[in-house]
Amino acid sequence: MSDNKTERLINLTLALLATKRYLTKSEILENVAGYKGTQEAKERMFERDKDDLRSLGIEIEVGDLDVFFEDEPGYRIPRKSYELVVPELTGRELALISIASNYWNDSILAPSAQSGIRKLQSLGIPAAVDFDFRIKYRFENPTQVLEELSTAINQRSKVTFSYDSTSLKIRHLEPYRVLFWNGFWYLIGMDLDRKEIRLFKLSRLVSGIDISKKRNEFQIPTNFEAAAFLPKSDVAVLHRAKINIRKDSALILRNRGTFIEQDGEYETFELSYENEITFLRELIWYETNIKIIEPVSLQNALLALLGGVVK
Amino acid sequence: MNESALERTARALDLVPYLLEHQGISITELANVFGVTEKQINEDLVLIHMCGLPGYTPLELIDMYYEDGYVTVSDPQSFKRPRKMGRSEMVSILVSLDLLKSMRSDALRNEIEELQTKLLSSLQFENPFVVVQDFDDSPLLQDLERAISKSSTLHIVYLSGNKDERTERTIFPLEIYRANQATYLNAWCQTSNADRTFRLDRIISCEVIGNSDVSGAPGQKDLVLEQKGAALLINKSARNFVEDNRAIVKNIEEVSGSEELLVKLNPVDSDWLVRTVLGFGGGISVKEPLELASDITSRVQAIQKVYLGK
Repeated sequence: MSDNKTERLINLTLALLATKRYLTKSEILENVAGYKGTQEAKERMFERDKDDLRSLGIEIEVGDLDVFFEDEPGYRIPRKSYELVVPELTGRELALISIASNYWNDSILAPSAQSGIRKLQSLGIPAAVDFDFRIKYRFENPTQVLEELSTAINQRSKVTFSYDSTSLKIRHLEPYRVLFWNGFWYLIGMDLDRKEIRLFKLSRLVSGIDISKKRNEFQIPTNFEAAAFLPKSDVAVLHRAKINIRKDSALILRNRGTFIEQDGEYETFELSYENEITFLRELIWYETNIKIIEPVSLQNALLALLGGVVK
Repeated sequence: MNESALERTARALDLVPYLLEHQGISITELANVFGVTEKQINEDLVLIHMCGLPGYTPLELIDMYYEDGYVTVSDPQSFKRPRKMGRSEMVSILVSLDLLKSMRSDALRNEIEELQTKLLSSLQFENPFVVVQDFDDSPLLQDLERAISKSSTLHIVYLSGNKDERTERTIFPLEIYRANQATYLNAWCQTSNADRTFRLDRIISCEVIGNSDVSGAPGQKDLVLEQKGAALLINKSARNFVEDNRAIVKNIEEVSGSEELLVKLNPVDSDWLVRTVLGFGGGISVKEPLELASDITSRVQAIQKVYLGK
């Protein structure tokens, strides 16, 4: 069954690609292998086949009325729209693309990247250089919804999903972009309940994503800069701390600090940090082998953190 | 399992131009490239062989022959060039190039950028993905890549976070990967005679000592860490613990009527777990094992004593 249909679809594609002029429906039904049954059955089959080929991204051109065939429309697949046209790629560039696509690993986008590469490899580009690196990217977070979101954004269809947060679980969104930032995937778009642009971490999606059946429901603002909506980290502000470190301990901390002076059983180091909580988590690692001297606010924050643990 | 006729058609349409550029390819390799079984490829080839142009005489059929598991196409009919790329194919390729670019600060960065511009110029696709990453390129990255490709043996000085030790090791680097916010090296460590993972930013020096394989001579074994499963009660404020450590999470349950998650972990180093829990200031509490909970309390008291005295 599947064999017959596949065969018919291939034959139809071949016939429509090979023809210079439009083929009429009756020519197709008569000559292309695989159309069987009553006239009506054949026509229905042909209609479905056209839809199927179009869903594969194949453009079937419908010709103007032709004087010889009265009101019968004609069909063909223009070679120009069927075939892959890319600027000349070098073997080195092709190799780069192959390496890059290895990143997808187990992600949902891997099959798409692979089939895209197969097409590029069918262009007759001489295989060349191999690069001496093989870095992998491990996505430790779910990426199943990427493909769906990409479609929704492309169609400008609204999406609905459950989001793990303390308030308002169901979100309605006009999706604008998907961001990969600091190892995590985010969705950014116009939150229709809050009426502002918001960022959602994909790993906090509780449900799957519902995509509206409608298309062109909204517009993405021109020159939309997704990255501008990322929370600003206080990168510019580097804080300084004085930390006492016991001899031969907290090696990683010592390695990135500056030794200042000896202080009894401790050695005092100066260290800089951006984010308080991240720094505290690093410090806490060394437990009683270190002591925060300055700033006092950092010391208090540490004690508050510990107070929380034993509360 | 049950592949649709459409998926099969798509593959068949791509197979012919691919074969044309890879004359004499083996069925095994073909199956590998197309991500299907050899049986499936054989069935596809039989089917394609029967397709052609109206008339369907041997002259009008797609002509190919396969012998001893190798395939050659002599007449592809109209399938001389590959089909144009779909949106998701193009987008996946562009995003992977973005990711590759974000990991490099060397000349390759510009090269990738030029390639992307080139691809975009001919393909009118909107790319819905944006990769934002300020990758802190480790100065060792390129040395390590070279070492991997040349199968070099390295001598490294490494700071271990868990044990707060400075160790010198002889390693045979295998793979570099990036996960969450850090870059890691997987290597065979001769010193501990086992596979080990190293964070690039904790390797303080690295030197090539040879280009031969590491011998399997048993070295001094690493301390075996005590590993135990655990159950944690995690407040939603601390849920990035779960996100950052997905690899060790066995199971997550919502605790009904509260904002907490009950998270079961695969066996992990107890010491690591205790110190990590401390950093979340009460956002995480240990339910099991019980001795870990009391260990946490006594460690907190010890630290408090440093600041507050008795």
